[in-house]
Amino acid sequence: MESTFFSLMHGFAVAMQPGMLWYAFLGCIVGTLVGVLPGIGPLSGISILLPITFGLNATEAVIMLAGIYYGSQYGGSTTAILMRIPGEASSVMTCIDGGAMAKKGRAGAALCISAVGSWIAGTFGIIVLTMVAPPLATLALRFGPPEYTSLLVLGLIFLAYMSSTSLVRTLLMACLGLMLGMIGIDNMTGHFRYSFDLAELGDGIGIVPVAVGLFGLGEILSTPSANVVGEVLSPKLRELLPNREEWRQAIMPIARGSVLGFIIGIIPGSAHIISSFLSYALEKKISKHPEEFGKGAVAGVAGPESANNAASTGAFVPMLALGIPTGPITAVLIGALMVHGVGVGPQLINEHPDVFWGFVASMYVGNLMLLALNLPLVGLFVTVLRIPYAYLYPLIIMFCIIGVYEVSHSIIDVWIMLIMGVLGYGLRKFSFDPAPLVLGLVISPIFEQSLRQSLIMSDGSWMIFFTRPIAGGLLIVSALLLVLSAASFVMKRKDWRDKLAEAEAAES
Amino acid sequence: MNLRADHVAGGAFVAFGALIIALSGDLPTGQLSMPGSGFLPKIVAVLMIVFGLALIVRAREGKPFSEIPWDDGKHALLVTIITAAAIGFYIYLGFVITMTLMMVALLILIERRNLLIAGTYSAAVVLLAYVCFTFLLKSPLPTSPLGY
Repeated sequence: MESTFFSLMHGFAVAMQPGMLWYAFLGCIVGTLVGVLPGIGPLSGISILLPITFGLNATEAVIMLAGIYYGSQYGGSTTAILMRIPGEASSVMTCIDGGAMAKKGRAGAALCISAVGSWIAGTFGIIVLTMVAPPLATLALRFGPPEYTSLLVLGLIFLAYMSSTSLVRTLLMACLGLMLGMIGIDNMTGHFRYSFDLAELGDGIGIVPVAVGLFGLGEILSTPSANVVGEVLSPKLRELLPNREEWRQAIMPIARGSVLGFIIGIIPGSAHIISSFLSYALEKKISKHPEEFGKGAVAGVAGPESANNAASTGAFVPMLALGIPTGPITAVLIGALMVHGVGVGPQLINEHPDVFWGFVASMYVGNLMLLALNLPLVGLFVTVLRIPYAYLYPLIIMFCIIGVYEVSHSIIDVWIMLIMGVLGYGLRKFSFDPAPLVLGLVISPIFEQSLRQSLIMSDGSWMIFFTRPIAGGLLIVSALLLVLSAASFVMKRKDWRDKLAEAEAAES
Repeated sequence: MNLRADHVAGGAFVAFGALIIALSGDLPTGQLSMPGSGFLPKIVAVLMIVFGLALIVRAREGKPFSEIPWDDGKHALLVTIITAAAIGFYIYLGFVITMTLMMVALLILIERRNLLIAGTYSAAVVLLAYVCFTFLLKSPLPTSPLGY
């Protein structure tokens, strides 16, 4: 514990340098704008802006990119409350009661509760992350190839279980991602696989063209400007403070949302989306006045907004301690660190303490910045929201092209982005969630290598995955999840995942 | 039989899985004690076929194919064509010319905006981006034969 404290102090010494503060500030501002603007999610925002970080060192880069991620969670609520459309997916639930509060003239109070709740949850998440990540990384150092294989299998099954689309759909997407990840030179034998004599495909397909295509361009293709509503409410600065009764109603939902969000954040899947839905469902269930939900209940804003912020911090635990992404956003962040020559995994804390602790400390600072910036700058964000979408999306396409091209100066990557954009459009039409595809793509090389190494170690026996306690335990949990999923399918029972899918469909 | 969306999606995945197996012919599968480069791709392709078939089997529960809304199809097609053209010309005409033309095309052909406003807006944001990337971020963008 003492060493954690001193390491954190070292992290603050790194994060408080003027350069680091500037990049944290930049990340927070850009993240808030990304969250505010409908049609650009944190994933496309991070992917598009990744090349901008090439001139920075690894710590500056990850501080800025993570700022975009958690900043977008703050920004999404502004659009949800003032326009009643989610600025990004995790704000879907905030639309319901945030929008209703705005209609009643309490938009300022809803924004303030959302910002304070986000700050409390974010800070709570970072404190737990500070305590949990180092011991988890120490434990993970004992992992060999069979443990990693089992952990990745569990990750994929968990993702499928938590997904709001069906298990089969999610697994299909993950398989497609795994397949794309196997394009290029096989690391163990040197064989070229599915590269069709294109030298550019020898290194495989990058995360950035796939993520930008699926989430950035794909979203634009399926959103004609005529479908984007432009009515924005504009709260006055003096209306921003909630009254005493509203504070009282917000305290416990913020506390519950923080804990729930962090726990869900650690689990693979689109945690920040799921956590806000579960928090909303929980608040409605335990409320003495459930009939107020949907009509402007304070708890309906405070809980989900806290939960999605805590979840975005929780998602950093497996990423930093195990080197395993829990979703496409952390996958892109891992990719960003790898571009800067920093390998992510249990060894990160020891090999790159500046990056690890500087990053953790910057999140304390970043959350404080967001609290200080979001409320006074609400007028600016309202102005941004008034830019017609017709003028905005050509600009986003331009940044998609720049972003992808600048990663490796390869035009093939830009073509891949376009193909992925069209694929993303098609997948949406057939109700597939493209997020597991990106996750599959990222874990594909680690998964293949650890699986093949495990089989070589055991001389071809699958029993190696069951005779080692950690690997076996992880596979048993995977099997349990599959059984639970099958049971819910057989009993045709509507569970929270079906309700989440319905809520998302209703709001889109 | 009513054609369902999942019949089409499942069929596409089965076909894709089969295509992967066909393309993997020259990749050695190896043995369990020494898996080759074709080992995992073939497993994943088989899984894809199995999950695709599962989707087809359960397709009755899904929506009919005819109910998929394609009202945004024209927008998607036009954006794809214009973006593809821009990508095709990107490294030959350079960033400034290609991106200005792409944005003007998107604003005029799809959004039916005024030529003067569309042209001014496009040129302004493209030049701003060019200055930011080239001079502030020192991340050079493709140039045209004219040198910018």
